[in-house]
Amino acid sequence: MDPRDGRGANAPGPVLRGWDALIAAVGSGVASLSRSIGAGAGTSVPGVVIERLDPGFIRRRARTLTFTTVVSGTNGKTTTAAMLATILEAEGVRVLSNASGANLVRGVVAALASATGNEGAAVFEVDEAALPRVVDSVQPDVLVLTNVFRDQLDRFAEPEIVVRLLSDSARALPAGSVLIANVDDPSLWHAVEDLRPIGFGVEVGVPTTSGHESDPEVCPRCGGALRYRRRTFAHLGAVGCAACGWESSRPAFLIEAAEEGRVDRLRLSIGGRSHELKVGGEHNAYNAAAAIAAASSFGIPPSRSIDALASFAPKFGRAEHLAFDERSFWVLLAKNPVSCVTATRQIESDPRIRAVVVLVNDLAADGRDVSWIWDAGLDELVRLGVPVLAGGLRAHDIALRFRYAGGAVDVVEPDVRSLLRAVRTITQPGDDVAVLATYTAMLEFRRAVLGSRRAGVADATEPVLR
Amino acid sequence: MTDLVIADLYPGLLRTYGDRDNVVVLARRAEWRGFSVRIDEVGRGEAIPADVNVIVLGGGTDSVQQILGRDVARRADEVRDAVARGAVVLGVCGGYQLLGRRYILPDGSEIQGLGILDVETRASRDRIVGRVQADARLWGRSFDLVGFENHGGRTTLGTGAEPLASIRRGHGNNGHDRIEGAAQGSVVGTYLHGPVLALNPELTDAMLARALAPVTGGKELDPLDDALERRAHDGLARRVRDDRRPARRHRLVAAAVAAVIILAAMGSSAAVERHEGSSVKGWFESGWMDIAQAGRLASTPVPIT
Repeated sequence: MDPRDGRGANAPGPVLRGWDALIAAVGSGVASLSRSIGAGAGTSVPGVVIERLDPGFIRRRARTLTFTTVVSGTNGKTTTAAMLATILEAEGVRVLSNASGANLVRGVVAALASATGNEGAAVFEVDEAALPRVVDSVQPDVLVLTNVFRDQLDRFAEPEIVVRLLSDSARALPAGSVLIANVDDPSLWHAVEDLRPIGFGVEVGVPTTSGHESDPEVCPRCGGALRYRRRTFAHLGAVGCAACGWESSRPAFLIEAAEEGRVDRLRLSIGGRSHELKVGGEHNAYNAAAAIAAASSFGIPPSRSIDALASFAPKFGRAEHLAFDERSFWVLLAKNPVSCVTATRQIESDPRIRAVVVLVNDLAADGRDVSWIWDAGLDELVRLGVPVLAGGLRAHDIALRFRYAGGAVDVVEPDVRSLLRAVRTITQPGDDVAVLATYTAMLEFRRAVLGSRRAGVADATEPVLR
Repeated sequence: MTDLVIADLYPGLLRTYGDRDNVVVLARRAEWRGFSVRIDEVGRGEAIPADVNVIVLGGGTDSVQQILGRDVARRADEVRDAVARGAVVLGVCGGYQLLGRRYILPDGSEIQGLGILDVETRASRDRIVGRVQADARLWGRSFDLVGFENHGGRTTLGTGAEPLASIRRGHGNNGHDRIEGAAQGSVVGTYLHGPVLALNPELTDAMLARALAPVTGGKELDPLDDALERRAHDGLARRVRDDRRPARRHRLVAAAVAAVIILAAMGSSAAVERHEGSSVKGWFESGWMDIAQAGRLASTPVPIT
C-alpha cells in the first residue's frame, strides 16, 4: 500500500453525485444551521441527521476512500490519528479525518459528507463502543488499537468489556487489512495476538513503578501474577507469567523515549534516529510508535515518519498551549486515572510551572463517577509546593482529595471564569500555569480562554497565541 | 502497640472502581485524632495480620472476582476469626458481594463468598448505574449516605443481615426493595463508590469508633473539622437531584427532534434501519443525548475522546 503512488490512479472519483450529493448538502445545511444558532460545532448534528435519513450513506461513501486507517482504544486516539495525518501530509498526501472528539459513527459520517474528493487517505479516531459498526461500514485498510485502561466505567462497566469490543472489531476486519496493536498492554495484546498483529512498544530511560492508577496486573491467559521485564507506566510493559509461561511478544516497532523536563518536550529514538517531539509525556511515545507503525504499512519508513513528527504540534487539550491574561496555560486532558497520572508527572517534571488548576466535571462525557480522582496521582502535586486551584462541578471532591493527601488546595471555585480571576491574583504575569481537566471541563476552559463558541472545534483555525 | 491495624485486602486486584482510598480515609481520620495506624496490604496467599482491627475490600470486575474465588474460599475461617475478635469489615461493590454467601455469575457458575454477611448476589445482564442518596442506620446512628453505584449484581438480604440504608434516590442492592447495602454485627457492605468513606464521614467515624473501642473503651471520638467533607457530600447530593432535571429536558428535545426527523423521513424513501443494539453503546450512541446536551455545553462536538 502506498498512498503517494495511489494518488491520481486510485484517488476517489468526483466525490458526490446524485443522491449522495443531496444527502451531503442536507448535512452541510444542518451544520451551518447548528453553528449559526450556536447549538453546536457542526461536527456532529449533521452526522446524526444523515444517519437518520440514510443509514447506507456511510458504507457507500467509505467505499470511495483509499488508504483508510481507524484508530481506537482508551487513550491516545486523538493524538495518534493526528500524528499519522501529520506523517501522511508530510508525504504530500491530503488526509480526510474526523474532528477531535467527534468519534462516534455520526462523526465519521459528518467527515465523509465533507470530503472534497482530493483526499488521498483517511484517518479516523473512533470511540470504542462505535468501533464494531465503523469497522463494518468503513472496512479500513489499517486498524490501530492503542490501549485499554479503566475509563468511563459508568458507560463501559469494566475494562474487560472494552477489550472484547476491540478484539471483536479486529476479528471483523476485511481480509488483507493490517492490524496494529500495543504489545505493551497485556490484556489487549493477548486478546488479538492470534490475529498476528504488528506490535508497537516503548522503552523509557527511567521505568516508573505503578501506582493505584494501574489496572489489575494479572495474566490475561491464566489469572496468575505478571512479572515485568520492562515497564513504562501503569500496567504497560513487557511481561511474563510465572504460572503459565505466557509472555508478551517483541514489538516490531520499539521507540525509546526520554523526558526532557518540560510539559511540551519528549525525546524519541527509533532505528538510531533521534528527535525532539513538541509534546511531553511518555504516553506520547506510544502514540508516536502507533502512528509510525501505521505509516509503515503504507510504505513510509520510520526514519521519515519520525522526521515528520518533529513538526507535530499538539492540540485540543493535549499539552496544548494557550496564552491568556499574560499567563501561559498548558492544558492537559485528564480523563481517567492513567491519563491524569501521566499528566501529573509531566507537570512535576517541568520546573517552570508556577500553579496548577485542576478541573473535574462529572457529566456523561467525563464519566459520572469521579471516584477515580483518588487514584490519579493528585497526591503527588501536594509535594510540588505550588498553589493548586480546584474547579468544575466536583471542585470540592478535589479539595477533599488534597486534604487526605496531607495538603490543601488554595482556591475552591466551581465556576471556571471565576477561577481564572483567582489565577490572576495568585500568579504573576509571564507565569506558566498547568491545567488538568476532565473532558467537558477542558472544553469549558478552552471556551473561557479562547472566548469563542468555536473553541470546542478542534479543526477551527486558532489564533497564534505566543 | 499500634492503635489501629487496617488490612487492605487484594489491593492489586480489587482496584477498578477507585475504592482503595477508603483505607487512606480511615487511616487519616484516626491519625488526625492522635491514634497510631498501620496499613497492611494483603494479596493472594498472604495472611491477614492477627492484630487486625479493620478489613477493607474494594470493587473489582467479574473476571477478577473469579480469579479471587479460590483464595477467598481458603480464607473464610481466617476472616471469620478476625470478626469474632472484633474486627470491623467494609466491602464495597465487588468486595460487598464477596462478603456474602455466594455470587452467581451470568453463566450459572458460583463464587463462594466469605459468608460473613447473610446476603446473596445474582448477576444480571443490565447494570444498575447512577448516583445514590439514602438514609442510613448503623449501630444506633442515623445519617445521610451518598455515592455512585455501578453494578451488574443483584443482592438480596437473608434474615441474618440488616439493611444499611433505605434508598431515597437511586437503586441500591437490587433495584426492587429500596435497600442499599447490608450490615451484620461489625460487617458492613455497600455498593457505593465515591470513595464512600471520603464522602460520608459519619459512616467512617462509626466504623472507626467501633474498631478503636479496645483503645478508647468505647468512648465517642473527638469531632473533626468536616467542612470540606460536608461540602463534597452536599455537592454529590445536589448532583443526585440534577440527574432528574435534565432527563425531562432530554425527553422534550428528543420529542421535538424526532418529530422533525419523522417528517423528513416521510419525505424520503430511505429505509431507516436499526443499528444500535448492544447495551454498552446504549444511550450514548443513540444520538439524542448529544443534541440535548448542546444546550448545556454550548460547543461540545461529541463528548468522547
